[in-house]
Amino acid sequence: MGSYFSAERFINVFPKIISCISVNFHIVLWSMLLGTILAIFVAILRLKEIPVVKQILGVYISFMRGTPLLVQMMIAFYGIPLVLGNVFMNLFGINLNRVEPVVFVEIAIVLNEGAFLGEIFRGAITAVPALQTEAGYSIGMTGAQTFFRIVLPQAFKVALPHYGVDFVGVFQNTSLVFTLGVVDVLGKAKTLGAATGHTLEGYLAATLIYISFSLLLKGVFLFIEKNMKNGSAPAI
Amino acid sequence: MIELTGVKKAFGKQEVLKDVSIKVNDGEVVVILGPSGSGKTTFLRCINFLERAEQGKMVFGDKILDLKHVKKRDILYVRRHSAFVFQNYGLFAHKTALQNVMEGLTQVQKMNKAEARKIAEDALSWVGLLDKKDFYPAQLSGGQQQRVGIARAVALKPDVILFDEPTSALDPELVGETLEVIKKVAKMGITMVVVTHEMSFAEDVADRVIFMDGGVVVEEGKPGEIFYKPKEERTRQFLSRIIPQDAYVI
Repeated sequence: MGSYFSAERFINVFPKIISCISVNFHIVLWSMLLGTILAIFVAILRLKEIPVVKQILGVYISFMRGTPLLVQMMIAFYGIPLVLGNVFMNLFGINLNRVEPVVFVEIAIVLNEGAFLGEIFRGAITAVPALQTEAGYSIGMTGAQTFFRIVLPQAFKVALPHYGVDFVGVFQNTSLVFTLGVVDVLGKAKTLGAATGHTLEGYLAATLIYISFSLLLKGVFLFIEKNMKNGSAPAI
Repeated sequence: MIELTGVKKAFGKQEVLKDVSIKVNDGEVVVILGPSGSGKTTFLRCINFLERAEQGKMVFGDKILDLKHVKKRDILYVRRHSAFVFQNYGLFAHKTALQNVMEGLTQVQKMNKAEARKIAEDALSWVGLLDKKDFYPAQLSGGQQQRVGIARAVALKPDVILFDEPTSALDPELVGETLEVIKKVAKMGITMVVVTHEMSFAEDVADRVIFMDGGVVVEEGKPGEIFYKPKEERTRQFLSRIIPQDAYVI
């Protein structure tokens, strides 16, 4: 081994590694899309304080917040086919063992985000003053109209900064998926490193890719935050 | 016509309303006076179900309602035929002045946008704020916000407007402009129930004054009677503290 690091090798592996970013994006986008929808339901149901549902959600949230995401991914990956394999086979004719591992990863992240984002949304909804709800009622709006047209848009604004942080967090957490055999950016860096014996170049490439996309995402959210008028435009 | 009878309400062990009955005729302006904690705001909020009374009946137009066991449909009916002006304005923070006024027209009365916009602009110009129509509540002064609140209420063409201390969150300089607008509303002949501490305003616009204390109606009558010839000792006591005595000499 001549040197630990060579620019030539770096240039050689970089395109191969960055081509795997689509895997990370696929995971982030689907997980966040479904996770956000799930989280809205979780937040609303928690706020409604329906007896049995409340306890179930309590357990669900403690579990999701109390165990590492990697563990949840493992459980989803190994557990779901074992427990539900027969059911899916009989009902839909789907063999869960043949399903792409990335699907289980996404299920795990969606469930995880349902809990974390659900708590963020719940906090944001309670942060909207009760007077806003009363004002909606006073002009004759129904409960649903008031919630969706008055409370939720304002809660969205409260939640956005936290949502942005969480989004970047999920993007970085996608690096866990190689543990389950899904080849993403980090996975590619690892396999190339193992194949060539030169690991540093690959990891450097992965680092650069993660940093740039994290900063990019952060920038996008800051931009949205700044440009969202929603009642707090600076005085003219 | 609105008539409430035997309204009772308690927060925990604290009895806030002990058997209150009030009748408001069409086109009448009724002012409710009373010290803090006398239950006047709670009473007002019971009328459009922002607060749920524990007992009592209400005649609202041609409907007879039990205040405690009331159907959702009836609550909506009352709210859609009344409007409420809040002490702290209660404007939708994420909507401009114009959108605030339009919201009820388009969402509740299902008007088309052009029509609603026309009515909303008229209402805003009526309260002298057309030039501020694209401002968000946070960009308006307290007095301006409250005038938008009044425009929002008037634009809905309700049978009755309930005012909950509309000027008590404003600084003294802004009280005048807001009271002027409320007087204009009174002149339109809309039925109004106003909870306020503004005595001279009450004297000017009220057809009837109701004095409440300790969760009961102590006395009611024409403003001239209540202010100058109160029958009850408690009313006299309250007024003497609020109105400087020499004000009457002039």
